Amino acid sequence: MQLPRTAVVVGGNRTPFAKANGAYAPASNHDLLTAAIDGLVARFGLAGQRMDEVVGGAVLKHTRDFNLTREAVLSSALAPDTPACDLQQACGTGLETVVYLANKIALGQADIGIAGGVDSASDAPIAVSEPLRRALLAANAARTLPSRLQALAGIRPSHLAPETPRVVEPRTGLSMGEHQARTTKKWDVTRAEQDELAAASHQHLAAAWDSGFFDELVTPYLGLTRDATLRPDTSVEKLATLKPVFGGPDGTMTAGNSTPLSDGAAVVLLADADYAAAHHLPALARLVDAEVAAVDHPGGADLLLAPVTAVGRLLARQGLTLADFDLFEIHEAFASTVLATLKAWEDEEYCRSVGLPGALGSIDRAKLNVTGSSLAAGHPFAATGGRIVATAATLLHQRGPGSRGLISICAAGGQGVAAILEGM
Amino acid sequence: MTEVLPDLPDLRAAFWRGVMPRRPRPAAVTTKEVVVPGHTPDPEALARYARVCGFTLRDALPPTWLHVLTFPLHLHLLADPGTTLPLAGLVHVRNRMRLHRPTLLTEQLEIGSGIGNLRPHRRGALVDLTGRVHVGAELVWEGVTTYLARGAQVAGAAGSAHHSRDARQDSFVPATEPGGAGAIWRLPADLGRQYSEVSGDPNPIHTSRLAAKAVGFARPIIHGMWTHARVLAALENRLPDSYEVAVEFTKPILLPGTVGFAAAPRPGGWDAAVTTRDGSKPYLLARIDY
Repeated sequence: MQLPRTAVVVGGNRTPFAKANGAYAPASNHDLLTAAIDGLVARFGLAGQRMDEVVGGAVLKHTRDFNLTREAVLSSALAPDTPACDLQQACGTGLETVVYLANKIALGQADIGIAGGVDSASDAPIAVSEPLRRALLAANAARTLPSRLQALAGIRPSHLAPETPRVVEPRTGLSMGEHQARTTKKWDVTRAEQDELAAASHQHLAAAWDSGFFDELVTPYLGLTRDATLRPDTSVEKLATLKPVFGGPDGTMTAGNSTPLSDGAAVVLLADADYAAAHHLPALARLVDAEVAAVDHPGGADLLLAPVTAVGRLLARQGLTLADFDLFEIHEAFASTVLATLKAWEDEEYCRSVGLPGALGSIDRAKLNVTGSSLAAGHPFAATGGRIVATAATLLHQRGPGSRGLISICAAGGQGVAAILEGM
Repeated sequence: MTEVLPDLPDLRAAFWRGVMPRRPRPAAVTTKEVVVPGHTPDPEALARYARVCGFTLRDALPPTWLHVLTFPLHLHLLADPGTTLPLAGLVHVRNRMRLHRPTLLTEQLEIGSGIGNLRPHRRGALVDLTGRVHVGAELVWEGVTTYLARGAQVAGAAGSAHHSRDARQDSFVPATEPGGAGAIWRLPADLGRQYSEVSGDPNPIHTSRLAAKAVGFARPIIHGMWTHARVLAALENRLPDSYEVAVEFTKPILLPGTVGFAAAPRPGGWDAAVTTRDGSKPYLLARIDY
């Protein structure tokens, strides 16, 4: 389908990602998102300018942050008459914000804007228990003192324990790691393969940092200058010594080949191609197309393989095959997610079972996550999409006009988002 | 003479030394200056301060936080044997500070303070506490805190030639009157305790009804420097990298309380006021100049 205009990635900015309860422990989502936006504003001289829209989101969100992105805009150096909206699709949030804004730009509803996301596992909201919440609401609504006291009398000591958010699927009661452990077993993903991918992620990210690749993409915050999870000296041998954390005693998933809980924020500056040229802004890559998909995980489907469906539909619509791509960015929720995704791409039966015409094929692994991904960088849920888009756009720009990149991000709820970028 | 301290001194000791009754003597202040050569800001402490005052947590330190860092040195000089002013009778009447450039959380700071410019006032004497923050040799922030020492006697009468110079220096006129309240701030009863915890100011008139009553307030009052900080937090992204801000505390705010806030830009700066809820009477007037 021909869109009226071309949405391009002008650039990106993120905070270094921190380990949960690390350098950003005192920072809120508001603080982190404001820091990421202000860093982008400084990079592109946007101080005092009005953006057509800023769209952002967070997965772990306090009720007070109902207007998180707008409030961050008001704290940032952007003009205060910049509108903003919040969007949420679990770990797909960051990429969805880019798609949302790029679509508006392509349709002529916006010329320039910022998309991205933030998450803090350190500053996660804590809720009161459901019976306590009901009792407090009833007491608040009661009109007389006796009825208010009656409502409060229903509170039991056990109701007072606070509830911290858990990364558990509401319909299966399984954590994401437990779901992925089932997928790992089903797809025969070995421990060695996972550790190899994790080691490569750390080595690639470390090399990218050392080469200065992230100088254009990351602004230090609260004393942190590099991603805190990164272990440049890790190796397959070291990773092999770790005990499994998911899948029982015989499991293959460890803390080393699973993403750690992290804090951070990432944003991307998007603009209409003509607008960018007229305003002397760079254009790294254009967003070609995007697709979102879901699988029936309560019915037994692999929770984190929905992006396979999204990628399949996207390639079919664009008339492309995996061989047409120079880069693949597959979000490393777990090493085994990436490996199961690659196996699913090659699997005729699986692809047909999700409505695709056939297997998508194999890829050259040298094109995969070439500057590392979430295993090494960390994964502040809603910030990952912005990190990947800015990274991929920069890499494609280096490779030159017409080079293609495929992004695949899995999300809770059995969902997945995929997008195609083309270098400019 | 400059006294060098290894780090910011304990506030409580200096405070209680300072509030001890002193033999009535002519007002005098020490000629000593005090400096802490190497202070590294604590991100956790800054985050708590930012949360209570409404600042976004950034790498750049709020100028009022730099004031908080000089405050223990102020108390140290006020509690010095060479200073005869009774700490319990001091009223913070105005404050002036200049941020020369954004000062970062990651920078090592030299924090210095002095006391002087003791001068007569119709209700006692005014005294200035100065603060300076350097990064290496570069002056990044400086401030002047003016206290009224109620009942203190200073040689020279109000209205003398000497005083007229000070009167000009002490007068405070916002360039334009900000309009009616644009925002409402609800100050909870425990705000004084919250700010005491993050600023280290141990004065019980902000936390205890009894202590507040002893100095003539019906309820605890919020720290003037909280109100000052809240004003800068409200304008945080509208202000440039370098500016001067002067505030006058015209009336204490009792806790809990609801107040109004108004701010208006003008060429080269802002005028702002914290007022009664209806905007009619000011608690604090602020003038910001770039």
